[in-house]
Amino acid sequence: MIASTLMLVVTIWFPLFHVVSLKAVTAEKKAVTFNAPDFAEGFWTNQVIPALPGTVKADVLIAAIQTDPAAAKKKYGHSVGLSDGYFYFFSGSGQVAAASDDEISVSLTPGSTNVDVVLEVGLVFGNAVRDGTGLLNANDYPNSQDFNDLSSALNHIVESRVLPVLKQRAKAGARISFAGCAEVDDESSDLKPLKVVPLQAEVQ
Amino acid sequence: MKSNWLKLALAVVMTAAAILLFTQTASAQAASKGKIAVVVSTLNNPWFVVLGETAKARAVELGYDATIFDSQNDTAKEAAHFENIIAGGYKAILFNPTDANGSIASVEKAKAAGIPVFCIDREINSTNAATSQMLSDSYSGCVKLGQYFVKTVGKEGEYAEILGIVGDNNTWNRSKGFHSVVDRYPDLKMVAQQSGEFDRAKGLEVMESILQAHPNIKAVFCGNDAMALGAYQALVTAGKADQVKVFGFDGADDAVKLIAEGKMTATGMQFPKTMARKAAEFADEYIQGKRDFPQKLPVPVELVTKDNVGKYGDYGKK
Repeated sequence: MIASTLMLVVTIWFPLFHVVSLKAVTAEKKAVTFNAPDFAEGFWTNQVIPALPGTVKADVLIAAIQTDPAAAKKKYGHSVGLSDGYFYFFSGSGQVAAASDDEISVSLTPGSTNVDVVLEVGLVFGNAVRDGTGLLNANDYPNSQDFNDLSSALNHIVESRVLPVLKQRAKAGARISFAGCAEVDDESSDLKPLKVVPLQAEVQ
Repeated sequence: MKSNWLKLALAVVMTAAAILLFTQTASAQAASKGKIAVVVSTLNNPWFVVLGETAKARAVELGYDATIFDSQNDTAKEAAHFENIIAGGYKAILFNPTDANGSIASVEKAKAAGIPVFCIDREINSTNAATSQMLSDSYSGCVKLGQYFVKTVGKEGEYAEILGIVGDNNTWNRSKGFHSVVDRYPDLKMVAQQSGEFDRAKGLEVMESILQAHPNIKAVFCGNDAMALGAYQALVTAGKADQVKVFGFDGADDAVKLIAEGKMTATGMQFPKTMARKAAEFADEYIQGKRDFPQKLPVPVELVTKDNVGKYGDYGKK
């Protein structure tokens, strides 16, 4: 009798198994799984779009690059890790000089034949969107695969929301305002014109 | 009498030698700033040998005694190395992990023992165990390789992929970077995807079996150059080296030479020497008192093709 009571008390204090709801386990798993599309959506809405008006203006940036590329890089550019390459996050307006399936050439001075900026409107690859804004930090992501999935998700947002309208409306001669990220790997080819992945664009 | 003089002379010489040896040892000990361990996932791949040797050489240049430990791609061996290193009074560990998840516990043990760990090339899935991680940007490198793949292979046809070690993040960062481009072209069809475990012999073996099942492939994308070299060897044996384009990743010297000879199509140049030197310099700065390090320091990867191969060699840029 005493032994049975003791066993009962021990079993209550130290149960042989726990019953856990499957819902709770699934919720816990979901909580620790990084959802790149969801994160990209929040980042796009809450950080990227609000940051666009505060970016350096294209005419200021291009004038600075023409005067002294190294000083312009120091003042307006940012790079990631040990890379020699760097990014500009900027906005501006101008006139469409030419448009194709993959590129829209923009002249900042209306009537000028100089192409200052090329908006890239083909398939978006790589990390220009993720890293170009300078708003995300690789150190916040324990697993780099998550950080890379985020790149794909952000590229998808640009391809599905920004590019279709832009490609449809941007015809030669149209006035255009834009904001985006330019990646500079090779200064001899990437600075003039600046090649931009557009994050926002309006065509009049 | 003569033998007494000889004994005396011998005693003088031996005493002098002992004093000299003692002085040299003492001065060497005074010169050394302590011991640094270099733990490498495997020395069965020349790329990792360069990584380990460079880390060791830079640590020695900075005034430390450095020792290389080979984990042989085995987390158990790696854990045993860490135990010995912790017990052995090392001041820092320059670490090329074997497994992104499986290596975390060893790093945490070293951290608990007050030994900073600096990861090189391969990451661990933790941002609060290692002091800093110098990592090749494999994803971006393979985006570039994917773009060049489409440019040279075309937008249609069959191809195969040979993956690295399945538990390593680099394997998937490379594969995902490549597929983020290639998968956008639906007529490019991957007919086989198998692991060659980053090993040349396994790369050869896997390529042989892929060729038997899929004789019409136009290209093979390999997660590292060791497997690419094995795959190329299999293609030569099968008489298909001219029909199948080989893409690798790492920037191994043998791969760069094959690209220069037009036998391999492209690779992604990582910079093992840059990463290894930086890790040793970070360890030195830590030992000198610095504590503010970036948790992850991405190192860019450059595309090497027949058009620019002359700029590369010796595991970096000439």
